[in-house]
Amino acid sequence: MGSRRYLLRKIVQAIGTLVFVLTFNFFLFRVMPSDPVQLLARSQRLSRADVAELQSNLGLDKPMIEQYVVYMGNTVTGEFGVGLQSAVPVTELIGSRLWPTILLVGTATFFSTAFGILIGIKGGWRRGSTFDTSSLMGSLVLYSMPEGWLGMILLIVFAGTLGWFPAGGYSSGGDLTGFAHITDVLNHLFLPMLTLTLGYIGEYAIFMRSSLLEVKEEDFILTARAKGLRDKSVRRYHAVPNALLPTFTLVFYSLGFVLGGSIIVETVYSWPGLGQLTYQAIQELDYPLIQGIFLLFSAAVIFFNLLADLLYGHIDPRIREA
Amino acid sequence: MRLTRGRVSLTALLGAALVMGAVAPVFAQTSTPSTTDEKVVFNVGVDSDITSLNPYNLCCGPDYEYLTLVYNIGIGFADDLSPAPQLVTEWTPSEDHMTWTLKVRDDAVWHDGQPVTADDIAFSFALVADNAMPFYKDYLPFEPTFTVVDDTTIEWVSTKPTFAPEVPPYIPIVPEHIWSELVTPGDAKETKKTVKEFKNNPPIGSGPFRFVEWEKGQYLRLEANPDYWGGTPASIDELYLRVYSSQEAMAQALRQGEIDFADGLTPSLFNTLASDPAIKTHVADGGCWGNIAFNFGGQGDQETHHPAIEDVTVRQAVATGIDKQAIVDKVYQGTATIGDSILMPGSNGFWYHDIPAELEFAYDPAKANQMLDDAGYLDTDGDGVREMPDGSNPLIWEFMTISDVNGSVDTGKLLKSYMADIGIKVEFITVNTNKAYDLWYTGEWDVYVWDWCPDPDPDFMLSVFSTDQCLGWSDGCYSNPEYDALYEEQKTLLDRDERKATIDQMQEMIAEELPAVVLNYWSDLQAYRADRFEGYVLSPAVDNGLLLFGWNNESYMNLVPVSDEAAAEVAAASSTGIPTWVWAAILVGVVVIVGAIVMSRRKRGADDEDI
Repeated sequence: MGSRRYLLRKIVQAIGTLVFVLTFNFFLFRVMPSDPVQLLARSQRLSRADVAELQSNLGLDKPMIEQYVVYMGNTVTGEFGVGLQSAVPVTELIGSRLWPTILLVGTATFFSTAFGILIGIKGGWRRGSTFDTSSLMGSLVLYSMPEGWLGMILLIVFAGTLGWFPAGGYSSGGDLTGFAHITDVLNHLFLPMLTLTLGYIGEYAIFMRSSLLEVKEEDFILTARAKGLRDKSVRRYHAVPNALLPTFTLVFYSLGFVLGGSIIVETVYSWPGLGQLTYQAIQELDYPLIQGIFLLFSAAVIFFNLLADLLYGHIDPRIREA
Repeated sequence: MRLTRGRVSLTALLGAALVMGAVAPVFAQTSTPSTTDEKVVFNVGVDSDITSLNPYNLCCGPDYEYLTLVYNIGIGFADDLSPAPQLVTEWTPSEDHMTWTLKVRDDAVWHDGQPVTADDIAFSFALVADNAMPFYKDYLPFEPTFTVVDDTTIEWVSTKPTFAPEVPPYIPIVPEHIWSELVTPGDAKETKKTVKEFKNNPPIGSGPFRFVEWEKGQYLRLEANPDYWGGTPASIDELYLRVYSSQEAMAQALRQGEIDFADGLTPSLFNTLASDPAIKTHVADGGCWGNIAFNFGGQGDQETHHPAIEDVTVRQAVATGIDKQAIVDKVYQGTATIGDSILMPGSNGFWYHDIPAELEFAYDPAKANQMLDDAGYLDTDGDGVREMPDGSNPLIWEFMTISDVNGSVDTGKLLKSYMADIGIKVEFITVNTNKAYDLWYTGEWDVYVWDWCPDPDPDFMLSVFSTDQCLGWSDGCYSNPEYDALYEEQKTLLDRDERKATIDQMQEMIAEELPAVVLNYWSDLQAYRADRFEGYVLSPAVDNGLLLFGWNNESYMNLVPVSDEAAAEVAAASSTGIPTWVWAAILVGVVVIVGAIVMSRRKRGADDEDI
């Protein structure tokens, strides 16, 4: 009974958040001090009369409230319109970029959480050891390193000078199929994935480490030791599971952002993902495309947060009862 | 078992990562499609993806390259940018220039095998003219009609005398059997919308290359058209336009041979690549000129220009106070050239007029100060800033610089000090292009640092300085009835040489009156691998013509792989980086170290130290 109410409450909250975010995004991009039609006008050399016609075709001459109502209506009915610049349906534009982003940011998130958590556990458990001080230092350096800069260095060294990896893109094209195609994509994936992994890993390591340090001071750890358990068992069965809880939230939180891609790394490596598309859409003020992308982003973040909330309830029953 | 699971996962992860890192390079060199025994592949790096496959929906450089490869235009561009036969082979005017008779070739075929007919060409022109299609409509002025007389003859009837066919009209010829379905007769608005939203996949053109695939955000892949009326390309079987969203990545891709040609490089990358013996660089005409433009008022409702700007002596003094060469050297690292006219020697070729030296206002700050002193603009209160001749309104100007316009902000910084030297104070507003349009329309500026990119035909560029364009494309509503009269006159001159004489006069008039000061002609910085292809054809055929991305597709038609000996020479001259054995040693070292770590961890595992 209680559990069902909890579920319902969370879902209603999630939908409410989504509506709020959509509303906010709608107005956010419209108060930006420029006009997408003017951008189109310069490249097409339109007269001011043509501009007015274009504005009315796109519905941009209507009052903002009316545009908003139309937009929300269309969103509910799954009508996302076509990109202003390319005249291609927004769903198609987004769809073509979805997989590369999931592949890149997904693998990077996987590797960085896995390595980050392991490094954090090892460092935190032996606080002050050589491993701890050096890994902490390394984590801080990586955490504070700008991804774009790191990517650029890796690009120049491994793609330009050594020629080990391609300088950009998702695949080489040609008629590669099967295994050859897969290795080709992995080749293109490696450097951007490495950049992102290195960029994220520090955050997880530091987070896991401090979480473990906190748990280590708890009374039940002392109790476990007093029971005469071996150090390894204390860590594995008493410390780590409790310390993982906050990290677990962080991981789900990051998963929500996987779809958002990484604007900087995708740009450095010409990776045809959603991050790059977002950048382009904002530059061109392509309203329908921007709205479509942000709907997807918000929905992903909200969905994973909801999922985290629900799973959290199972992992840590104290939450459900609160 | 449970106790060892942690170690297995860490080792597995490490292993997976190492394997990926180690295996990937093995394939790296082999996977990029390149010239093989079966196919000759030419890879071109571009800085943005094509907008769409639809020729009525264009934006930027790569779109036009796609158009020129897959489609034909009716009348093309010769190497001096004069009209050249393409699908239309002859164009003959009637005495009054109201009717032009076009002869079309009968040996062209669409990529789907159907013949290209006079109907297709007339249809394509009419589609643009009847529906005022964006991008192209200005090429077909005076409500023309197009009538197919017989299989190879079209009559172009204009309501006024015109030289439009000789401009020539840059209009893609599309197959009627595909596009006619999208036309709603009598409803231009509906037709425009339907045509624009048509996906056109696969595109059927009549150009020298056929469409293979378009991976959005990655590459456009084309193949040679064996049935092309102009003969098949000399060697290229396949052609890729590869998208690099960062300049650095494109340069690295060229260095390692992933692409054969890179376009639109930044000066610093260009200069770095120039020192690589495997790469040849080329400074081409960039098609745009950088300038400062003055606001004369009347542009918008919140208009705020400074009155001194209206005085031609002040504008001439400003021009005299600017060191154009220093701007070229410092801002464009020597890759631009000093500009003098609103038409460009490269892009406008024939129409460009070399402005006489006395109208070029060579850099001379002392003279500029003298000019302002003589005109009565004196610094009466000794604060270093001149006032109007009546002692009011100090010459403090709002300079708009635009952050995403090539060199605008840096040029602005230099201009600030040049203006300070002649007693004019500059206050900056730096905005992005979007905001710049807003300010331009509302008129809240005195001077801006921007650019123009003229068409080969000078008409549009000349129109920008006419009174009619105030609230249109005019920078700051400059108005000169004498200039307007010449502009209208040149439209009616049907003889090229006569028209040019008038246009020369107009160019001198602008150089003297200075509604805008032309600072420099930009360059398009191109680079290509010396060991891959040769036989590039410059378009236009001048020293700074374009190798690719020019006004025709001649380079693609003529490129051939360089001989093996020549390629070997280049390779010898550019023995790159560190020999293979060093890398082998490093790899072995890494394996040994990782192995040692794993072994030591295994041992320590017994002491409960492992995870």
